[in-house]
Amino acid sequence: MRNYDLITPEGTKDLLFGECIVRRDIEKSLFELFKSRGYSEMITPGLEFFDVFNLNSSYFPQENLYKLTDSKGRLLVMRPDSTMPIARVVATRLRDAMLPLKLCYNQTVYRTEPALKGRSDEIVQAGIELIGSDLKIADLEVISTAVESLRSFDMEFSLEIGNIGIFKELVDRLEVSDNVKEKIRQNIEGKNFPALNDLLDSLGASPVTAALKKLPALFGGIEVFDKAEELMPDENIRHILEELREIYLDAAEICGDAGAITVDLGLVNKTDYYTGLIIKGYLQGHGEEVISGGRYDRLISEFGYDVPAVGFAINVNAVSKVIEKSGVLPAIPRTDVLVYAEKDCEVAALKAAQELREQGLIVENALFDDLTSARAYAMENKIAKVIVIDERNKEVQE
Amino acid sequence: MNKPIRIALTKGRLEKDTVGLLEKLGFDCTAVREKGRKLILPVPDGNLEVVLAKANDVITYVEHGVCDMGVVGKDTIMEMEGKFYELVDLGFGKCKFALATKKGYDFYSGYGIKTIATKYPNVSRRFFEKKGMDTEIIKIEGSVELAPLLELADGIVDIVETGTTLKENGLEVIEDVAPISARLIANTVSLKLRHAEIDNLIQLIEENL
Repeated sequence: MRNYDLITPEGTKDLLFGECIVRRDIEKSLFELFKSRGYSEMITPGLEFFDVFNLNSSYFPQENLYKLTDSKGRLLVMRPDSTMPIARVVATRLRDAMLPLKLCYNQTVYRTEPALKGRSDEIVQAGIELIGSDLKIADLEVISTAVESLRSFDMEFSLEIGNIGIFKELVDRLEVSDNVKEKIRQNIEGKNFPALNDLLDSLGASPVTAALKKLPALFGGIEVFDKAEELMPDENIRHILEELREIYLDAAEICGDAGAITVDLGLVNKTDYYTGLIIKGYLQGHGEEVISGGRYDRLISEFGYDVPAVGFAINVNAVSKVIEKSGVLPAIPRTDVLVYAEKDCEVAALKAAQELREQGLIVENALFDDLTSARAYAMENKIAKVIVIDERNKEVQE
Repeated sequence: MNKPIRIALTKGRLEKDTVGLLEKLGFDCTAVREKGRKLILPVPDGNLEVVLAKANDVITYVEHGVCDMGVVGKDTIMEMEGKFYELVDLGFGKCKFALATKKGYDFYSGYGIKTIATKYPNVSRRFFEKKGMDTEIIKIEGSVELAPLLELADGIVDIVETGTTLKENGLEVIEDVAPISARLIANTVSLKLRHAEIDNLIQLIEENL
């Protein structure tokens, strides 16, 4: 049998030193940002029952879940997402809590990704969930938090919004099987114009098919709304579009940089439990979105509590990667003083080191029994000062 | 000027056809034509950079966003799948996926599970899954036509262009699986962050197809 005791499983990795600092800095600044806006932290278990993720509408294909069983043989999964566990908690322990609830989290999710593609199976997500409000101000609050999060990374960014309601309303007006609807969705999601056109042409020309054909091309800035308006077949859909336009304009004003806010009416991902607003955030230099979120007004009702909600998650790993690539790595804090103890002076040395720490210095005790090794260690680690503690006094050496 | 748009081309025939197309659009592709062993080549007047890669790698590079766009066959897209935008059917590199057997062999007869040899296991699996047929799929790297001749497989799922190779080896197409042609794909974030530039390029391309 082969032994795998020296490597980590595919899709996972060890983080060392500077890499940890980058990640913790991101987590800390996001967390402070969330807290400053009144969000309270939640931690949910890493292990959940499979059933939590296997609702009527199954959002996570089972082949993408890490599964195991508990001592009673029941099927468990490693949490693939934080929003569904939070929905579960809201529908149970927080059922009587006053609304709206403002929750935030920072935890790892696990999904199996195809091997050898350079993807992580273990992703740290920091995010917020705003539960119990379907008002426009709630959407704007979440968008504004997303913009501030992106801004905190100090890099060129772009925030994109959409509304899945437009697509859902449009396909519901077609009299076709769910299978065909799913194909239409896939082709819109992939902006696969040739296949989408062929498919819709086979359904006959109508204002609805004409609008669906154009949906994946309707992305960009404010001009998108005028183009889309002419295409929308009825008042209901125009209304959704109009609401999105208002949100777009407000978001551009909140952001202060209209160019950083874009819209895409073709955002129609499959695993989405989203019902309305969709949010995506991009950083220059990363090939996938770093923020993903939206409004999910029906998810919590699948756990038996009918309450609207909106939120987003930030892929902390992706952000770390972009920051590491940009080359501005934070300095690893350096030890200021190394305290060396002569024989039988260990207690005095430990005390002396502690006194120095209380003055705010970073102090290490030398773990050697000869001064030469201690000095070599100080040299190697660029420690400016070595203090020797012997029976009588302190001897200071630079 | 902005960083050039990086476009990955599938080495070989698709590369030649794409370079032909780019030249038709008026871009100076001298560097690509006289590439030597270089793999990243500038197309200066288009603010483009051409990367030459194997078909599967074109998708990998575009998915990760290290290339903004790519030209790759639908065959590779169907086999690999992945997350990117499939924007334009370029119309060249036309051929098809087909199921072929030894001439005169009645593939759908009997209840025994059929064995399929192919370079495209995912395409094959999906094709037979849709028919509700259990098959045994064997991945072959080289000339797939050998497998039925050596009686390793009952049939093959492979790319068929003219059918000459099949004919010369006593095989025939019994069913088409899917049409194939070259596609222009784009990274999902590049398309958003470099919308204007990519949009211009696509418009130019569509006008010249």
